[in-house]
Amino acid sequence: MTIWWLALILATLGASGLAFIWLAVRVGRTPAGVVAGKPQPGSIAAAAREDVESIFNNEFREELRNRGRLHFEKIIGENAMFLQQDLRLTTSQLNEFMKTEITRKLKEEFAKYEQSITDAKQLAIDSIQKTNLAIDEQRHELSDQVRKEILAEKQQLLKHFESNMADIINHYVLAAIGNQIDLNDQLDYILGELETNKKAIIEDILSGA
Amino acid sequence: MAHETNQTLKLPVLVAGPVDVNRLVRELEAIDDVMLQLKLRKGGEAVRVPKTSQLMDQTIQLNKLNLLHEADRKSLSQFLAAVKKQSPVLHISFSADPSVVFIEKLMTWLRREIHPQVLLTIGLQPTIGAGCMVRGASHYFDFTLRHKFDGKRELLLKKLAAGETPAAEAVS
Repeated sequence: MTIWWLALILATLGASGLAFIWLAVRVGRTPAGVVAGKPQPGSIAAAAREDVESIFNNEFREELRNRGRLHFEKIIGENAMFLQQDLRLTTSQLNEFMKTEITRKLKEEFAKYEQSITDAKQLAIDSIQKTNLAIDEQRHELSDQVRKEILAEKQQLLKHFESNMADIINHYVLAAIGNQIDLNDQLDYILGELETNKKAIIEDILSGA
Repeated sequence: MAHETNQTLKLPVLVAGPVDVNRLVRELEAIDDVMLQLKLRKGGEAVRVPKTSQLMDQTIQLNKLNLLHEADRKSLSQFLAAVKKQSPVLHISFSADPSVVFIEKLMTWLRREIHPQVLLTIGLQPTIGAGCMVRGASHYFDFTLRHKFDGKRELLLKKLAAGETPAAEAVS
């Protein structure tokens, strides 16, 4: 829109310049019929020529030139002023336009940039959440697996302990108070056991013998 | 049966195992030899009489024998041969080497309750801990603490499951 206004103003200025040039050329040119042939003395044409020359003498012509020059300068000055005003107006409008456009563009770009950042942020958050979910899932699985393994190990140890409990306790008793158990102190226990199994021992001896 | 044929003779508790019986047999043979030499040699020649061991002394005293008499020696010899051949042998393993007093008490009980001429061989098995293992002619008797624990396994499991201790029970 402003570009078109600028082109129109420039075209108007160009047309005005051409018009002044044409006018200056036109004013400086002599009539074709008069210049071509010299009028006859005493004829009407000669008389008219003399009158014209007496009216439009050099001073008058100079006066006309001066007036034309002043008028031309005035027109040029006015047009220059108008042109200057238009140029200022155009410049200010251009500045305003450029400012508006740049602001709009910047806002758009910033909005896009902000949107990109928001999208990237959301994407990162989604990714982190997925990773967290996966880690949580893996943690749960690992925890379950470890719990199962610990339980199995515990069961195995318990089973082992139960199956070898007598040996373990015997070993523990030996390690703890083995050096304090005197054989003489065990005599009553041994004799008691022999007494309990006396019948079986006698039968075994007799059968063996 | 030896103890039927030699009802009057007894084995002292110190004569515990076949080794002791063999020793007595050898000692009696030596005495027999000396007595035979005394009979064969002429008078005036000195013959060294072997010194009897504590085992032999106890056997003689217990059975009121006089080894100078041939009949007593013969009787003892027959008795020892019968013991060596026919007496039942028990093998008992302990966690430590038993003392003489312990063996005497054990042999006294065995001779009184099991068989009057029973012999005993003693083994050493440190893993037993407490108690003993008795091996007869064809049977095996486990009187060890470990076997005792095995027998009380259910009770131990029950106590472990309940988390009780004898001390706690005593307090309660």
